[in-house]
Amino acid sequence: MSAPILSVKNLTKTYPNGVQALKDISFEVQQGEFLVVIGLSGSGKSTLLKCINRLLDPSSGQILFKSQKDKSLDIAKLEGADQIRNLRTKIGMIFQHFNLIPRHSVLSNVLMGRLSSTSTLKSILGIFSEKDRDEAMKYLKLVGISEKARIRADQLSGGQQQRVAIARALAQNPEVLLADEPVASLDPATCHVVMDYLKKVNQELGITVICNLHFLSLVRQYATRVIAMKDGRIVYEGLPSEIDEKWFEKIYGEGAKEVHVN
Amino acid sequence: MSTKSQKTFKHLEATNGAYKFNLKSSVFDGLTISFVLAVLVYLLLQPNEDELLLLGRNSSWYGVLFVLSMLASYFVNRQGIKTWGEKIFEPDYRKTHGEEVPMLKSFWGWQAVITMLISFAIGLRVTEFSFEKVLDRDGFQGAVRIFSELLRPNFEILPRAVVRMFETIFMAFIATAFAIPIAFVLSFFAAKNIMKHPLAFVFYLLLRTLLNITRSVEAFMWAIIFAVWVGIGPAAGMLALMIHSIASLAKQYSEIIESVGDGPIEGVLSCGANKLQTIWYAIVPQVVLPFISFTVYRWDINVRMATIVGFVGGGGIGKLLIAYQGQAQWKEVGCIFLVIAIVVWLLDQGSAYIREALK
Repeated sequence: MSAPILSVKNLTKTYPNGVQALKDISFEVQQGEFLVVIGLSGSGKSTLLKCINRLLDPSSGQILFKSQKDKSLDIAKLEGADQIRNLRTKIGMIFQHFNLIPRHSVLSNVLMGRLSSTSTLKSILGIFSEKDRDEAMKYLKLVGISEKARIRADQLSGGQQQRVAIARALAQNPEVLLADEPVASLDPATCHVVMDYLKKVNQELGITVICNLHFLSLVRQYATRVIAMKDGRIVYEGLPSEIDEKWFEKIYGEGAKEVHVN
Repeated sequence: MSTKSQKTFKHLEATNGAYKFNLKSSVFDGLTISFVLAVLVYLLLQPNEDELLLLGRNSSWYGVLFVLSMLASYFVNRQGIKTWGEKIFEPDYRKTHGEEVPMLKSFWGWQAVITMLISFAIGLRVTEFSFEKVLDRDGFQGAVRIFSELLRPNFEILPRAVVRMFETIFMAFIATAFAIPIAFVLSFFAAKNIMKHPLAFVFYLLLRTLLNITRSVEAFMWAIIFAVWVGIGPAAGMLALMIHSIASLAKQYSEIIESVGDGPIEGVLSCGANKLQTIWYAIVPQVVLPFISFTVYRWDINVRMATIVGFVGGGGIGKLLIAYQGQAQWKEVGCIFLVIAIVVWLLDQGSAYIREALK
């Protein structure tokens, strides 16, 4: 295996109110992996992802990013709006609540992925190049929702909105895709549809995926490797098949029972 | 065993009994307690008109009362007895602790009731209110006279009233229209969630202060100024309403901006968008409808204010009204009343329907 695309070293994050969300986190992510992060709410999963694309600023530590197209850099050291924007173009993200623009069309939402490579004036006037539009449609096709391109995003079901969010992230041509609880607000049936598209993105486009999840059954089905977090620390790192009942109790606390998603 | 003193100490136990000086609550208590004390001093000394006009001396004595009241509030609170100010301004971590004491079994409850009763008594005296005056025979005949004239409006001046009413409506419309783009731009600079950078925050504070000052000068005061500046007429009224609308709309707009959801902002930011792109795509779509709703309401308010603004040189129907009122031509005034009332009622209903539909 080649050198890791991301290596996180001694990462900590303390919020202004004093809460220590991440305590000395270190791990590596290989190019092309489907890494799943599990843990209870409040264990620091979301904070971890948001530090990787700098929606949050880490307090200390390193996040080395070895881009295929660009020279390596330490994400934690980036300063200034321009550097951070440049980073975000290479790292896409999808969210639990989809975070689309409700009143805009599906296509317009996917074009958000092209904002960073469109001038401010053009983007505000809504002028996107023909190439950008084609690309946006291509990714809408990839997630099987191209026929809804002209419909307002808030008219879609949750699962469909999440697929639009995936297309939006793909429109950035990212090397890494962060997924923060992508199926936590979806019903079990839709869960698999969205997870299958993430798998497709991972396998067909070769994009490295880091995904926060709740359900172990999904983890076993989709993850190539798992990290478990508890109280801001990594308590488990390994293959999904190796998580047995003992580990489960350690991660989720005694008396916790596994719930299956069918 | 549960005695009263135990109950009142309850809210302090939650934080180990340490009462910290609370500025807001002290000022509030200082004002309310010193008000009661000032009334007592007034009743004791019975000052005459000349003595009341000695503003410097009286206010320095009031200052003494104010400081004494603040001190009293502090010591009462330190005894574990909650004052009215503390009840209102106590920090959340205290509010959620301790037992709820019924209002009339608590210190702050009685403090509130006594202050309100005294205010009411003083208010009645200051406003010279008496039922006798309203029911007095001479006065009552005056009422009959004015109503009998008002209710028989002189419709000969109706065409003129309608023309002037249109002037007023358009005055309000143009004032609102000019205010919209200016307030729109200003509102983003007056929104806390956008002006996070320390330097930007200073600008935010300055702008907010400027807007607050502008807003505290009522539209009719601006009209007095502009009537001298650009001359008496609808232009002066329009400018006055515009200045007031900019300040009011900018504040309302910025409060809407401050309440937008973070989701779309995170979504657009994660795509690598810059600040302007984020505002345009993540914030603007969320605020457009409430903005329109507030703007329609502002136009509605402006039409009402335009009438008042006309009194002081702003032109429109207000100018016509003040002319007839000055000559006690009540039948003409009645006609103008009718026109204003109908227009205000129509706009009120119309803007309510529009705002309801925009929800």
